[in-house]
Amino acid sequence: MKILVTLKRVPDPEQKVKFKGDAIDFTGVNWVPNQFDEYAVEAALRLTENASAGGAGGAVRDGEVVVVSIGPKEVAQQLRAALAMGADRAILIDGDDGALDAEMVARTLVKLVEQEKPDLLLMGKLAADSENNQVGQLAAGYLHWPQATFAATIQAAEDGKALDVGREVDSGVEIKRVTLPAVVTVDLRIIAPQAIKNGKTAPDHAYPEGPRYASLKGIMAAKKKPITETALATLGIAPSLRVKTTAVTAPPARKAGVKVASVEELVAKLHNEAKVL
Amino acid sequence: MFEFSDEQKMAQTMLRQWCEKELAPQVAKLERGEYPPYELMRKMARTFALDEMVRASFKRLEERAAKGEVAPEREEGESGGFARDPGMSAIVGMELSRHCPGFCLAFGASLGLAGGAIMAKGTLAQKKRWALPILTLEKIGAWGMTEPNAGSDAFGGMRTVARRDGDSYVLHGQKTFITNAPFADTFVVYAKIVEDSATDPRSRPIHTFILEKSDPGLSVSKPMEKMGMHSSPTGEVFLADVRVGRERLLGEKEKDPSREQAREVFHGERTGMAPMCLGIVERCLEDSIKYSKERTTWDKPIAENQLVQEKLARMYMHRENIRNLLFKQLWMVKHGQKQSMAEASACKLYCARATTEVALEAVQIMGGNGYMREYHVEMLMRDAKLLQIGGGTDEIQIVTIARQLLG
Ligand SMILES: Cc1cc2nc3c(=O)[nH]c(=O)nc-3n(C[C@H](O)[C@H](O)[C@H](O)COP(=O)(O)OP(=O)(O)OC[C@H]3O[C@@H](n4cnc5c(N)ncnc54)[C@H](O)[C@@H]3O)c2cc1C
Repeated sequence: MKILVTLKRVPDPEQKVKFKGDAIDFTGVNWVPNQFDEYAVEAALRLTENASAGGAGGAVRDGEVVVVSIGPKEVAQQLRAALAMGADRAILIDGDDGALDAEMVARTLVKLVEQEKPDLLLMGKLAADSENNQVGQLAAGYLHWPQATFAATIQAAEDGKALDVGREVDSGVEIKRVTLPAVVTVDLRIIAPQAIKNGKTAPDHAYPEGPRYASLKGIMAAKKKPITETALATLGIAPSLRVKTTAVTAPPARKAGVKVASVEELVAKLHNEAKVL
Repeated sequence: MFEFSDEQKMAQTMLRQWCEKELAPQVAKLERGEYPPYELMRKMARTFALDEMVRASFKRLEERAAKGEVAPEREEGESGGFARDPGMSAIVGMELSRHCPGFCLAFGASLGLAGGAIMAKGTLAQKKRWALPILTLEKIGAWGMTEPNAGSDAFGGMRTVARRDGDSYVLHGQKTFITNAPFADTFVVYAKIVEDSATDPRSRPIHTFILEKSDPGLSVSKPMEKMGMHSSPTGEVFLADVRVGRERLLGEKEKDPSREQAREVFHGERTGMAPMCLGIVERCLEDSIKYSKERTTWDKPIAENQLVQEKLARMYMHRENIRNLLFKQLWMVKHGQKQSMAEASACKLYCARATTEVALEAVQIMGGNGYMREYHVEMLMRDAKLLQIGGGTDEIQIVTIARQLLG
């Protein structure tokens, strides 16, 4: 199976957001891989290996994982980390996040899918910066491919031509069968020890929870793996935005609370001022 | 020159994540001695496939040896895994020490000192039989030089003897303060060869032996109780006429000037300290900055007081200096240059003193909290003190520097 995985870099969600005028100030920001995309990389690796065949030394690869990111040159760092985890090669499309919207990203991915012809476009369910949660759905629509979003589990069908994707919905777990090629976006439970069954790795195999750590060997090997650089224009993507961000403002600072002297006063305030009683 | 490479930085990020997730939650238990650190070391080795790398590099070593290609001097120190890249080993030392210097000490004493000594001077067969299992963490190593009456004066004061008896040696004596001794499988031990009773015991030739836990006559003490470094078990080794064959003599030849060998390991012991120091200092600085911005007295953060700022600035200065010393060391190793004894000693002296100062000041900045176990710097302060004693005391470093300066 050949999988195209998306990997966006986002500002470290743990960091405090700084503002400059009507926009976010990105100077000094610590960039990290979008968590859901990291999970997608892990899922892609689990789908394309036999983790029970490698003995003490680890898994045997069986398939290809191509990681793609749209962003500045520095995104190479996040791509390199994915290659160190085990992905086979990477594509870096030069682009500025400020000049993109979900729709343009989806169009770009469609072009790339046409070139790469993967069996699966695997993505995080959303990017932690803007939390748009649109690109996977849009790309599937443009490609006329089946889609399964928020995947909590993935099981390869016996003939290898479809995936059974488990989704946690309000009423329980829903299993959707998508025939390949397809678009799947992953949710956080996809990195549970037994969330992925690919028909090759023994079904009782339990992975350590979470995306894998790159081994030293993986880090050294990543140095030699190719990162192909290209540009939106080279892919024939016209820059047109459907969504424009006009301003970003910080939420208003919270006002100080009021201290009350007695329960009676509290009840009175809740009744008369807050009007919740 | 003053930066890690991209690969090294990536390894550092990985290791930091692992330490936060796997090591940090265990530190309290490790410190209480509830369980020895070795299983966790093995987990780390498996996670990063260190064992696999070591095995692969051993295989290459054997293949080259089979073709007669091994130039012994080139294979020295070829220990596979991260030990081949001094930058990577420095990162391991730094990252482990941020969370638990004791864990790092136990790890370093096994792989760096015991494993390193065998890799440096052992025959291929010895490397394969005793160093490989240490480097893959199947076995735990201990390195035994110090004796009850021979610490700073390790060579002169050494009383442990090895008597020749036909083709074997009979070892007798006692070692103390040996890291990992209570749990180790393999012991690298220094002993003096008794030629005849006429030779001055101070100047008898010293040789290195590889012993195993199961050797009859070898026994170890329980872990000793100590001030800090609680995560690394320290103990005594008793040798009551331990009889071993020639294959246990490191290098299998008596003519090796073993004081030189041991000096080289001393050298390694000294240079291995800088990364540990840097890890401790960086952690102390980060925790102190955070604390001093959050803690308020007289309605303002304590960080706004110049007395506190001075402490932070001095911590930062030490951090810069240690980092520069470390990068100089790494640069020299990379370019095949060797530090003089005075250089290595000056580096060790500075790093150890600065680290103790920084850790003490971190406790000071946190006041009563800094004195409490719940705050990490309490442990780091106790651990830091060892750095001024182990691997040669501050005074011995000074003596060494002065000796070279005065010729
Ligand atoms: C936690 C821990 C782990 C250790 N692990 C190991 C290990 O794995 N393997 C191992 O072999 N050893 C180990 N050691 C031993 C360590 O290397 C020695 O403790 C150290 O070398 C000092 O020796 P000593 O304790 O005998 O002190 P001494 O040599 O008795 O020194 C006492 C004091 O006298 C000073 N002094 C001595 N001689 C002079 C002089 N000529 N001029 C000026 N001052 C002098 C010293 O600096 C010191 O202040 C460990 C020690 C500790 C505490």
